[in-house]
Amino acid sequence: MSKLNAADIQGFVLRGYVFPVARFLFLEISQDNGQEFVGRLVSHITTGKRWDERPPSTVNIAFTYKGLVNLKLPTAPLLSFPVEFVQGMKERGWILFDTGRNSPENWDAMWNEEQVHAWLGVYAESAPELERRCGELQALMLATRGAAVVGSQDAGLLKIGGDYCNKEHFGYTQGFGNPDYLAVERNTQPGQGKLRPYGSWAPIATGELLLGYPDEAGELPAAPIPNLLAKNGSFMVYRKLHQNVATFRSYLEQQGRLYPGGVEKLASKFIGRWRDGTPVELSPDAPDPALVSNPDRNTDFTYGRDLAGARCPLGAHVRRANPRDAFGFHGALVNRRRITRRGLPYGAYTPEGGPVSDEDEHGMIFMALNVSISRQFEYVCQQWIEYGNDARQGSDKDVLVGNHEAGETFMIQGTADPRNPPFLCGGLPNFVELRGGEYFYVPSITALKMMATGAVDPY
Amino acid sequence: MSNRNGSIYGLTILSPIRSDAGIPHNLAIRTYLAELPRDQHSPFARLSSTHMARLAVLDDKEYLTTQYVVFESNFDGDLDIYLTRMARETPNFVDSVWKHCVGYPGVSDPLAFTAYMKKCQLATTFFFADVNNKTVQQTLQALRTQRSVAAFILENQGKGGAELQKAFAELLESLNAREELNQ
Repeated sequence: MSKLNAADIQGFVLRGYVFPVARFLFLEISQDNGQEFVGRLVSHITTGKRWDERPPSTVNIAFTYKGLVNLKLPTAPLLSFPVEFVQGMKERGWILFDTGRNSPENWDAMWNEEQVHAWLGVYAESAPELERRCGELQALMLATRGAAVVGSQDAGLLKIGGDYCNKEHFGYTQGFGNPDYLAVERNTQPGQGKLRPYGSWAPIATGELLLGYPDEAGELPAAPIPNLLAKNGSFMVYRKLHQNVATFRSYLEQQGRLYPGGVEKLASKFIGRWRDGTPVELSPDAPDPALVSNPDRNTDFTYGRDLAGARCPLGAHVRRANPRDAFGFHGALVNRRRITRRGLPYGAYTPEGGPVSDEDEHGMIFMALNVSISRQFEYVCQQWIEYGNDARQGSDKDVLVGNHEAGETFMIQGTADPRNPPFLCGGLPNFVELRGGEYFYVPSITALKMMATGAVDPY
Repeated sequence: MSNRNGSIYGLTILSPIRSDAGIPHNLAIRTYLAELPRDQHSPFARLSSTHMARLAVLDDKEYLTTQYVVFESNFDGDLDIYLTRMARETPNFVDSVWKHCVGYPGVSDPLAFTAYMKKCQLATTFFFADVNNKTVQQTLQALRTQRSVAAFILENQGKGGAELQKAFAELLESLNAREELNQ
């Protein structure tokens, strides 16, 4: 397998930036000057090249279908984009269960009033650097008159007890389990890739993340034409997930009083990891700091010896999102449904025990990268998160992020051991609410240059 | 044995659509099917032994000389009884589709209708019925029981000894009473 040309791939696709602060600017692209703006922006874009020295900030760009239209992409390439991307996420609500409290009428105004053509992602090592970098980009927009900011979203690592950490607002440590892809350089961890017959792990096909490479079916995935527009590009799903922290804490406390394992164990059963990140499947009775801090162990597990959900509940979040070998066939049914997550919390953390309200700005900017939004993200969302059949949980949705309906429950299968009993959680409120989002295309550097110069082959 | 998978019958019917000059029969069927309710107002809710049914218009000009109505149904029990029920309990639905088909005798005589449908039948040699070999009624009953047990658990988990036993006895009693009602 040849090495990737990392300089041609946007850095945001190839690696998860570890910066404390970020701002996502949403842009309207001018039909008249959009190409010029993109042309001047290219030299600012952070690529996937290895850093000798970490830059103080990064910049990446992605476009909606309407953005590509305004960049005057010719008709044939425009028509060759996948239908879900052309429609945009709002039109796909019927697939994603973005109904009721998650429906677009409850989204931030920007998504309903403005034309969002592009996402400009800026990560920085400090607030002043973030302002400086964004200022630079704003100046570029002004100078070219090629783009204007129609919305903005700040996000960043949570500060708990004075230090930045990897936790999100419900207190769970995140960042585990992103897939390993062939030829993508990264710290490989057992459990991140796909399962091989004798329990070892291998990276999944490059073509599950990047267009222009063979995917898990051994084929080149369906891609926009021409090839140069598609190769080294990817698709991003962006969803702003508001978190009802007050409801979550009171529900956990209330149920935790009934659950013989207590609050922390109950919290671990919801997700499939303790709040420190220890996988429940490996350590169902207590968190294990040695395990979780060991990259060779903290993601290396399978469910084949726990098909009854005695350790990790069948409907736990990580088990739903990545069933590994739970469906048999050495996990083959899962390999084409993996996504790379780049999420970042927004809003300031409210310490445990402090006054908290569901109205507070607490949430997660969920961003996922994949080659096919419909085959990967939408499938996982519709079939494994918002439905329970494959997990043998009937119509029950994911307890934490599902858009719940009356009558749903979350079942902890448990065992005959009184320390790990079966338990049923009912009256599930919506802990998470959708406040906006969209589907974006993350072009390669080559594609950006072609779009900027109007050089995309019209045929 | 063809047409059966455990207790389920897999019916496959292909009825040739009439071709009268100037009358768009296949379009009439398509329009009717597009508007056919799929919820509790569906004719298949009335035909309550139906697990799953599907209707389509087959129009393959390359291999077939005629258009067909394709009707597939997975149901419990005997074919003759099912077809008779179709004629007797959902006559409007049957008429609306099959009046556009060649040789359709109407529903006033269930025996004639049954014979006609059997003439249109293809042997279903292999099919998958995702129903645990339970009838529709047994399946619905099981779902209701599951729901009652879930409600019971939510109400009573954490309670001890005598209180729990008493509540459970009451649950059993109400489940048994419901089952007797359904016999």
